[in-house]
Amino acid sequence: MKSYLAVLRGSFMVGLVYRFGFLFSIAGNIIYMSITYFLWRSIYQNRETLRGLTFDQTYIYVALGSAVFILLKTYVDWQMSYEIREGTVATYLTKPIDLQFYELFMSLGFFLMSLGAITIPTILLLVFVFRIEIPLGLGLAIFPFSLILAYLLSFCFDYFIGLLCFYTESVWGLSITKEILVTVLSGALIPLPFFPDVIHKILLWLPFQAIYYTPLTMVAQPNLGWGTFLPMLAVQLFWVIALFTLTRLFYNQAIKVLRISGG
Amino acid sequence: MHSLKDYLRLYFIIETQYIKARMQYRADFIISSIGMFFSSLATLGIFWVILGSIPDLAGWSFMQLVFIYGFYMIAISPMQILFDHIWQIRFHVQQGTFLKYYFRPLNMMFYYMSEMFDIKGLTQLAAGIVILIYASIRLDLDWTLPRVALLLLTLFSASLVQISITVLAGCAAFWVLDAYPVLGLAWKLREFAPYPMNIFDGAFRFTFTFIIPLGFVAFYPSQLFLQPEDVSSLVYFSPLVGVGLFALTYWVWTKGVNSYTGTGS
Repeated sequence: MKSYLAVLRGSFMVGLVYRFGFLFSIAGNIIYMSITYFLWRSIYQNRETLRGLTFDQTYIYVALGSAVFILLKTYVDWQMSYEIREGTVATYLTKPIDLQFYELFMSLGFFLMSLGAITIPTILLLVFVFRIEIPLGLGLAIFPFSLILAYLLSFCFDYFIGLLCFYTESVWGLSITKEILVTVLSGALIPLPFFPDVIHKILLWLPFQAIYYTPLTMVAQPNLGWGTFLPMLAVQLFWVIALFTLTRLFYNQAIKVLRISGG
Repeated sequence: MHSLKDYLRLYFIIETQYIKARMQYRADFIISSIGMFFSSLATLGIFWVILGSIPDLAGWSFMQLVFIYGFYMIAISPMQILFDHIWQIRFHVQQGTFLKYYFRPLNMMFYYMSEMFDIKGLTQLAAGIVILIYASIRLDLDWTLPRVALLLLTLFSASLVQISITVLAGCAAFWVLDAYPVLGLAWKLREFAPYPMNIFDGAFRFTFTFIIPLGFVAFYPSQLFLQPEDVSSLVYFSPLVGVGLFALTYWVWTKGVNSYTGTGS
């Protein structure tokens, strides 16, 4: 455990180097939140509710979505593809550490970094500058737990793509395809109820929705009660365990094809 | 001094070699093309979902948005295909490899950009053309020869706008250590080019019209074809905007190139 914490600390320090980038990320978030404000305002026009959601609920959903977006991007796929290309992955394999946990703790350092430097400032701006009133309720209290599960899920997807790089040795196409699938199908950009009914129902059966739709709904509609939230958390937990196990099994296969030239 | 013909011939020779080299990684090309295809259709998917709940977005029907989207996809393709090397500029500047571009009797921007020809961008271009044709059939648009010429002219200018915004952002590399966030922001903004500009008001519409003229990438020029009888006078400036902005970009690029002193190693 101690060695994994050292990895976490290291990646946190690396993250600190990119302070200039944080300013731009926050600026990007502000612009994005403003644009989505205009977009959803013209979607709602004078309508009280759409698909059972009020404007405020939808806006909190999408704006918070953009604040946690950078948080839930682990970049593990890019990291691993770099390690494979450079051959440094070989040195990790010779050490008595588990690759999955190594990559997880590596990304946790960046997670903490962007939580402090991007997500929290963005949420503060949302509340104090954009004057968005986040309703208090049960959902808000469960949100942090749900977000952690969402992060672990997002990690599983990125780690899976990273393992696929053992085969393809290139990451751009895989990673972009994954990112689009995750952002669209998870309801990161549009709350799932806006999708056509059939698609909405199918999406609820897929793991993607547990990444964005679940935690964001908890904040946007915090008064749905335990009866709704408990099954949602259970589903998240189920997917985390399932995908953690599946990627571990896949690792045993993928490791057989890994070839490092030189080093 | 080389003539335009020399440059075209040279470009052809360089890119043939480049494509041959890339084609060694065929799987990568296929996966990347698929990725490109999905990522360029994402915003269209959002429009489709939204317009399933409401009849129109700020007065624009779904099919009109599809037309604007097709226009947008074609307009961003030249940037993707021909100027993709801008993404690498920070590495070259930081590591000093940028110096090599000073040592050929060629236009430096040409030489630098010619080092990459993004084949997967062709998927995007093809998809854009299909979408534009589909939307104009569904909208019953009347294509006469002058209108086709107008389309080509506006597409040319719109693609210059997109190229300029991105290359300008990339030029930040000459002055700041890590230009990636600047480029990243320009890239993120690009996604909003196919949105109807009339959903914005005040400062934002002003910004996207005059400061970061995203509106000229797709929305303003598309109006010439979608509602020719009711076009704001701004639209007629779109050809000028493209050329003017590119001239500015070229000037900034030259400034950056002249101020670069290498890394000393």
